[in-house]
Amino acid sequence: MSSRVIDCHGQGGSGETWADSGVTRRVDYKVELLLQRAAEAGIDQTCIMAPQNATYADKNRQIADLCEKHPDKLIGFAVHSPQRETGRLREMLLEEVRSMGLKGVKSDGHPTRELLDVVAELRIPIMYCPQGYGGPPAAMYHEMVMAYTSVNFILPHLGSYRSDTWWAHIDAIDLAKRYSNVYIETSGVLSHRYLVMAAQELPAEKLLFGSYSPELDPRVEIYAAKLLKLPGAKEAQVLGGNTQRLLGA
Amino acid sequence: MTQNLDGSRRDFLSTSSKVLLGGVLSGLPADSGVAAGSGLSPARGKYPIIDCHAHVGIERLAGTDYDLTDPWDTVADPEIIVRHAAEVGIDRTVIFPIENLKFEEANKEVADIVRRYPGRFIGFAKHDPVNEKGEIRALLFREVRELGLRGLKLHVQPTPEVLDAVKELGIPVLYHPLRVALFEEFVPSYPTVNFILAHMGSDTSANWHEQLAAIELAKRYQNVHLDTSASCIAELFERAFNELPPQQILFGSDEVELDCRVTLERIRVLKLPAESEELILGGNILRLLGGRL
Repeated sequence: MSSRVIDCHGQGGSGETWADSGVTRRVDYKVELLLQRAAEAGIDQTCIMAPQNATYADKNRQIADLCEKHPDKLIGFAVHSPQRETGRLREMLLEEVRSMGLKGVKSDGHPTRELLDVVAELRIPIMYCPQGYGGPPAAMYHEMVMAYTSVNFILPHLGSYRSDTWWAHIDAIDLAKRYSNVYIETSGVLSHRYLVMAAQELPAEKLLFGSYSPELDPRVEIYAAKLLKLPGAKEAQVLGGNTQRLLGA
Repeated sequence: MTQNLDGSRRDFLSTSSKVLLGGVLSGLPADSGVAAGSGLSPARGKYPIIDCHAHVGIERLAGTDYDLTDPWDTVADPEIIVRHAAEVGIDRTVIFPIENLKFEEANKEVADIVRRYPGRFIGFAKHDPVNEKGEIRALLFREVRELGLRGLKLHVQPTPEVLDAVKELGIPVLYHPLRVALFEEFVPSYPTVNFILAHMGSDTSANWHEQLAAIELAKRYQNVHLDTSASCIAELFERAFNELPPQQILFGSDEVELDCRVTLERIRVLKLPAESEELILGGNILRLLGGRL
């Protein structure tokens, strides 16, 4: 098992903070800050993706460019809106993955068959946070993950960014228990007790360390993950091994 | 249900509030050697490390539709705080009640917990200026002068009744308002009272407008201080440290909902100058408490 630390949820470029129960704001995430903070946190590689935008073709290309500049440090994810970019998703994502080297996709909105068909074809993981799109994780996840059992889904923030909805954390743990293709990302869980609960109730293979850097501080997020005090091999899985496996690396 | 609350919280949660006072709480084991009667952690600087924001106790919300609904309205076990704080060298924690309709009993409970863990907690009273209108002055004087509570926590806009008593007692007020601008209604009239604005103006950084408003408020009034608890957006968090004098920022955790080990680390990673960090982690709240623990 590799002991490389991989942050599966970083952000780069301009846009708006992701929709959630808070107030969004314009952001321009600088890769230099992300890399500097990652180095201080002992993170070897970061999966980087755009913040929220209306459409994503240009943003994904910028992410691919950043990855080309920092091939040892960054792993690019595309972002797409299944609703606003409908009809073009397959063509765009095939190019982004096969030609531009992106390794996964984040869904801005509830994933549709159009998006999940190409995700399954490309055998890439998909990250989707239902918060802000009208439902708690359980309600939004069940049908989707049963319909696409070959696709690996990453549920960010243990189901609730900043622990805004505490019971969504428990829903997220239950989802990951129920479905072998649901994984939990650890960033932004302010009520740390639910991360502890997840670590106690789920096999280590189900947890992926993420930081949401630079919106959140990766030095703090990795501290919270290490505070789980998992045995060495399990901690290595959570901090990087699991993401590496999902990316097929 | 898949909850796996740790044993301590589950036990605490299962306790009826009817038997709590003089019952379970007084029967709580004194801390297992970490805090009871102990001095401060090994000296790291001029001041002890003091967490200025934590909740303890059991709610009394009978007849409301939010009784036993959310964890922050249900129970907060001091044992959890003791355990977390000991791991990272936090010397003292300011504690106050979780949600109640009226707070006389809850404040006695806080004073009882302070007594049960000597040298570990600093108790603040909490009151509802609307539900307890007309009773607060007498209650607060008794709570401070007889029960040894040292400050006041508020979730409801303070009235002159409350603030006049606070001013006379010379105690700080930690207030979590609906909007930061509400501070403007009373701060100018009470320049000698020290106010602490909870969560840097926005619980969980949910509203960045409010967090910026909090920084501006603290710039306008030297007697307004920001507590760092439940603030998480890196840019906004750091902005407060960059724009305000360190004397106006106080380390707080919002235990037991948040974890003081993580919230302390959020400040540590900033690598502030030692003198500033010492003020923020303990010196400032100690000053607001009159210089004595």
